[in-house]
Amino acid sequence: MPDDTAVSIHQLSKSFDDVEVLRDVSLEVAPGEVVTILGASGSGKSTLLRCINWLEQPDRGSIHIAGQRIGVDDAGKRMNARALARVRAQTGMVFQSFNLWPHLNVLHNITEAPVHVMGKSKGEAQTHARELLDKVGLSDKAQAYPGTLSGGQKQRVAIARALAMQPEVMLFDEPTSALDPELVGEVLTVIKDLSAEGYTMVIVTHEMSFARAVSDQVVFLDKGLIIEKAAPATFFDTPSTQRVRDFLKNHH
Amino acid sequence: MSNWDILWQARDEFWTGFLNTMQIFGLSITAAFVIGCFMLYLLEGRPSVGKLSLRVFIDGMRMLPFLMLAYLLYYGLPTLGVRLDAWWAGVGALAVYHGCYFAEIFRGSRLVFPQGQIEAAQAHGFTRARMFVRLILPQIVMQTRPLIGNQLIYALKDTAFLVIITVRELTAAANSLSGTYFIPTEAFLVVIGFYWAVSIAMEIIIKQCGRFGARRGLDHA
Amino acid sequence: MNASAWQMLFDGAWTTLWISAVSIAIGVVAGLIIALIRLARIPVIDQILVLYISLARATPLVTLALFIFLSAPTLGFGLDRSVAGILALTINTTAFNAEIWRSGFRNFSRDQREAAMATGMTPWITFRRIMLPQMIITSLPGLINEMSFLIKGSPAIAVIGVVDLTRVTNRISAVTYEPLPPILVACALYMVIIGALVWLQRLAERRANRLAT
Repeated sequence: MPDDTAVSIHQLSKSFDDVEVLRDVSLEVAPGEVVTILGASGSGKSTLLRCINWLEQPDRGSIHIAGQRIGVDDAGKRMNARALARVRAQTGMVFQSFNLWPHLNVLHNITEAPVHVMGKSKGEAQTHARELLDKVGLSDKAQAYPGTLSGGQKQRVAIARALAMQPEVMLFDEPTSALDPELVGEVLTVIKDLSAEGYTMVIVTHEMSFARAVSDQVVFLDKGLIIEKAAPATFFDTPSTQRVRDFLKNHH
Repeated sequence: MSNWDILWQARDEFWTGFLNTMQIFGLSITAAFVIGCFMLYLLEGRPSVGKLSLRVFIDGMRMLPFLMLAYLLYYGLPTLGVRLDAWWAGVGALAVYHGCYFAEIFRGSRLVFPQGQIEAAQAHGFTRARMFVRLILPQIVMQTRPLIGNQLIYALKDTAFLVIITVRELTAAANSLSGTYFIPTEAFLVVIGFYWAVSIAMEIIIKQCGRFGARRGLDHA
Repeated sequence: MNASAWQMLFDGAWTTLWISAVSIAIGVVAGLIIALIRLARIPVIDQILVLYISLARATPLVTLALFIFLSAPTLGFGLDRSVAGILALTINTTAFNAEIWRSGFRNFSRDQREAAMATGMTPWITFRRIMLPQMIITSLPGLINEMSFLIKGSPAIAVIGVVDLTRVTNRISAVTYEPLPPILVACALYMVIIGALVWLQRLAERRANRLAT
C-alpha cells in the first residue's frame, strides 16, 4: 500500500438495504492536496466521506489513512473500538450540523479530545486551542457556550476542534449547507486559509466557485460511481461527460 | 400439604380481596375521571379567584401522599362530625386525589388546544357547555391517553394503602393469610401477580384505545 | 398539641427524609447501571431485567414492603424495619429510574456521538465525557419527579412499623385523642418537602432546556 498518500481508497462499495450507494470507488489524496467531491444529493458523496473515518462501514474495499488501514486490523478482522479510535484520531471531521458538545464551552470543546484521547496536558491543549481560535477568528469566544454562537461561529469552532487533533486529513461534510447565506463566507474563508497553509482536505460541498478556487482535484460522483476526476479548470471549463455539463448548468 | 396447597384452599379469601380491590378501584377511578373533567370545565374561561383557589387545591393535592388524604377523611373527619367507614373513606380519598391528577393532566393538554377550533365552534353558535362536552373534552381525553393509563396504574397501586386504614382488600388478604399460616412469601407472590396482571391488562386496553383513536384521526399515533 | 407532639412530628419527618434519601441515592445509581446493562442487550439477563421493571412498576409499595419484611425471616434472615423499608423503596424507585436513564440514552443525539467518535474517542471516553454529563442534565427533571413520587409513596413503610411522618400522627392521636391537628401538620410538612422538590425540578427543567438550544 502506498505510504506517501494521506488517504487511499481502494474499490469501495456500500449498499443501504438494496440500494448501492457506492460502487467500486477508488481515490487517492496526496499530502497537502485538497480534493472536493461534487454530485447531486443522493449520489453517495457524504457516504464516501463518512466511510473514510468509518462512521459508515463499507461492504467491500479498503481505506488507508497515512498508510494505516482503518476498520480492519492486520489479521483481517474487524478492529476493536480502541484500535479504531486510534486511527480515527488521524482524521478531523467537520459536520454539516456542527455537532458541538453543548455542555462544554468553546475552549473545552476544542481541548476535550487532545486531553482525553491524545493525553496532552491541559495547559498545552489550551495554549494550542487558543492559537486555533485565533486562526478561525474567534479568540474572544473561548469561554462562550455553543448555544450562544451563530451558525458560522459554531462551524468555525468545529473546524478548530478538528484541527486540534493535528490530523493527517480534514474531512468536511457540506460544512456550509446548514448556514444562513450571509454566514457562508466566513466559514469558506477559514477553509481557504487552511488550504493555503498546506492542510490535506477532502470536502463535500455544493459551493461551486469555492470548489473551483480551493481544489487541486475535483471528483464527481453519480449514483455511487466516480464519473469524472480532474483538475478544477478542466472539470469546470471542459467537462468530458454530459452528466457533469447538466449538473454544472443547474448549479450556476 | 405444601404451602401452595394451603393457599389454594384459601383461594376464596384472595378472590374476595381481589374483588374488593377491583370494586374500590373501579368506583373511585370512575369518580376521579368525572371529577377531573368537571374541574377542567370549572377552569375554562377568564381567570378568577374561584379558579385560582381550585388550582391551588389541585396543586396542593399533588404535593400530598395519598395516604395522608385517606387519613384526613378516615381519622380527621370524625372530629368535624362526619364519620365515614374505612371503605368509603378510601373510595372518597382515591376519587378526590386522582381526580386532581386527572384535572392537571387535562389542563396541560387544554393549554395547547388549538384556539381556531374553539372560534369555529363559537361561530357555529355552540354554547360553552356544549362546546366543552362535544369538542374539547373528547379530544383532550384521547390525546392524554398514555398519561391517563399511567394514572390508572398509580390509582390501582394506591388502593393497597387502604390496608393501613383497615380496608379488607387484596393486600390485606395476603397479610392476614400470611399471619394465619405463616407463609408470607407465597401469599404475597400471588397478590403481586394479581396487581401485575391487572396493570398489564390496563396497558393493553389503553393501547387498543390508541389504535381506535388513530383510526378516527384523533391523534398521530 | 404540646411540645412533645411537635418533637415527634419532626422526628417522623426526619425518618421519612433519611429513609427516602438513602433509597433515592441507591436507586438513581442502580437505575443507571440497569439502563447500561439493558443497552448491551445480553440475552436472558435483558429479559430478566424487563420482567423486574415490569413487576416493580406494577407492585404497590405497601405490598412490596410487607412482602419483604414478612418473607425475609422465613428465608432465614431477619430484617430491621428501616432496612426492609429502604429495600422496598429502592426496588421500586430503581425500576422507574432505569427507564428514565434509558430514555435519556435513546434520545441522545447521534450527531454528537459521531462527532466524538470522529475525534478518536473510544466508546468509554465518549460515554464518560460527552454523553453522561449531558444525560445527567437532561434526565434530572425526570429523576427529581420520581423522587417526589417516592416521597409520596414512602408512607407505605408505616405498614411494617417504621414510625415515619404518617405513622407518627397515629402515635400522637393515641395520646391526645385529637387526630386532626397532627395530620394537618404532617400534611403541611409533606407539602414543604415535595414543594421543594417541585421547585428543584423546575430549575432542572430550565437548565435542561438551555442545553437543548
